[in-house]
Amino acid sequence: MNFAFTEEQQKIRNTIIDFARQELNPGIIERDRAGVFPRDLWVKCAEMRLMALPFPEAHGGDGFDFVTTVAVFHALGYACKDSGLILSLATQVICGLTIQLSGNQEQAACLLPDLASGTLIYAQGITEPDSGSDTFAMRTTATKKDGGYILNGTKTMISNGPVTDRALIYAVTNPTKKTLARISCFLVPKGNPGFSAGNPMEKMGLRTMTNGELVCTDCYVPGPSLVGREGQGVILFSEVVEWERVLICAGLLGGLERVLEDCIRYAKERKAFGQSIGTFQAISHKIATMRMNVELGRLALYSAAILKNKRKRAALESSVAKFFISESLKQACLDAVQIRGGYGYMSEFEVERDLRDSIAATIYSGTSEMQANTIARLAGL
Amino acid sequence: MNTCNTIRDFITHEMLHDSLKTPLGDDDQLVDSGIIDSLGVMNLLSFLEEKFSIQIPDDDLIPENFASLSTITALVERQMAR
Ligand SMILES: Cc1cc2nc3c(=O)[nH]c(=O)nc-3n(C[C@H](O)[C@H](O)[C@H](O)COP(=O)(O)OP(=O)(O)OC[C@H]3O[C@@H](n4cnc5c(N)ncnc54)[C@H](O)[C@@H]3O)c2cc1C
Repeated sequence: MNFAFTEEQQKIRNTIIDFARQELNPGIIERDRAGVFPRDLWVKCAEMRLMALPFPEAHGGDGFDFVTTVAVFHALGYACKDSGLILSLATQVICGLTIQLSGNQEQAACLLPDLASGTLIYAQGITEPDSGSDTFAMRTTATKKDGGYILNGTKTMISNGPVTDRALIYAVTNPTKKTLARISCFLVPKGNPGFSAGNPMEKMGLRTMTNGELVCTDCYVPGPSLVGREGQGVILFSEVVEWERVLICAGLLGGLERVLEDCIRYAKERKAFGQSIGTFQAISHKIATMRMNVELGRLALYSAAILKNKRKRAALESSVAKFFISESLKQACLDAVQIRGGYGYMSEFEVERDLRDSIAATIYSGTSEMQANTIARLAGL
Repeated sequence: MNTCNTIRDFITHEMLHDSLKTPLGDDDQLVDSGIIDSLGVMNLLSFLEEKFSIQIPDDDLIPENFASLSTITALVERQMAR
C-alpha cells in the first residue's frame, strides 16, 4: 500500500495549510471563549471548496476522490487550531456522503449543490436523550400519512443543530421489525412546520461548533423527503459511519501532528536545571510515544481511507482508526499540558483548549468503548 | 461449495450464537429474527464482496435483500451475472 501523497494532493494540502494559518487561526482564543459559530469563517471555507471536495462536479462538487478528501482534512487538522470548525465542516461533508450513498440520483442532484457550496448548513440527527451508543433504540417515529410521514421525537447533542438549514433525521418507520429494517432517514428543512432547533448547549470544548436539540412535533414531511428507501436507515447509517470515522480521524491525526511539533519545539526551548527539558527522559518518552502514534495513526487512517476509496467495506479498519487516533490525541494533549507545566494550564498557550477539544473525539461517532466492542465482535467474540 | 452453502457456512460460524447453531434453512428469517444486525450486515457484505469478487451497489443495500439465505444468494448471483 502506498501512502505517499501525489503531487496534486501535496499542492492542495499546502494551500489549505496556508489558508488555515492565515484565515482560520487568528482570534481562536476569543472565539473559543465566546462559544459562537464563526459564520464568516464557514463562508471562507466554502470559498476554499472544503465542503465540495468529494462530490461529483455534476452535483456542484469538485470531484476529488476520497483519499484526497481525507488528505485535505488531514492538512486542515494539522494547520487549523479551530477543531470545532473542522468538525462542523466534516459534518457537512458526511451529510453529503449520506445523500450520495443513499443512491437516489434525483435527490443528489437537487441537494448536493447547496451543500457543497456551503450555502445551506447540514446536520445529522441520530442521538436521542435516551439512546446514544445504543443507537437503534431510538424512539423518534415516522408514521406514514397522506403520501408522506409524520415525525415525532427529539434528537440531542446534534452538531450544527442550532444553525442547521437541513437536517437528516433518523426515525423508526417500522416498530414491529428488528433493528435492521426498523429505521429510515429523512431530510427535514428548517422552517418545516413542527420542526425546531434548540439553543446551543454549553460545552467543554469544540466551542465554535454548535450542538443542540432538534425536535419534531407532528412534523409532516412529504414522501420524497425519504433519504434512501424506507427501512434502509440502519444499513445506510452503518455504511456512512465508516466514511465518517475516516474523515473525522483525518482532522484528528492532523491535530496530533501539530501537538507533537509544538511539544518538540517547546521541549527544546524550555530550560530547567541548566538543560532543555527534552533531555529528560520523562519528557522525551512522552514525545516519543506521540511520534510513534502519529506513524501508526497514518497507517490506520490511510488503510481505511484507501478501502473506502475503492468502495470496500471497512467496519474494522474505520473502528481501529477511530479508537486509536482519538485516544492517541487525547493522551497527547494531556501530555502536552504536562510538558508545558503551568503554562500548559493557561488558556493563552492554547494547549488546554486542544485537550478540551480532544476529549470529545473519544465520544462522538461512537465512543471508544463502542469501537472496542466492534473490534472485538469482528474478531469473533 | 455452491454459493448458498458458502454463505450459510459464513453466517453459521460468524453470526449464530452457539445455542443457535442448528442447521440454517434457506428461508429462515435472518433480519426478522435479529441474526443479522447493523454490524453483522457490514461484516456479511465485506465477506460476500471479497469471496465472490462483487460489489453490491448502494441501491441494493436494503434489508429485504438480507432477509434469508435465499435472498442473499439471489443478490450475490445477480451481481455475479453482471
Ligand atoms: C461533540 C459532540 C458532537 C456530537 N455530534 C452528534 C451529531 O452530530 N449527531 C448525533 O446524532 N449525535 C451526536 N453526538 C452524540 C454522540 O454520538 C453520543 O454522545 C455518543 O454516541 C454516546 O452516546 P451517549 O452520550 O448517549 O452515551 P451512552 O450511550 O449513554 O454511554 C455512556 C457510557 O457508557 C458506555 N457504554 C454504553 N454502552 C456500552 C457498551 N455496550 N459497552 C461498553 N460501554 C458502553 C459508553 O461508551 C459511555 O462511556 C455528539 C456528541 C458530542 C460530544
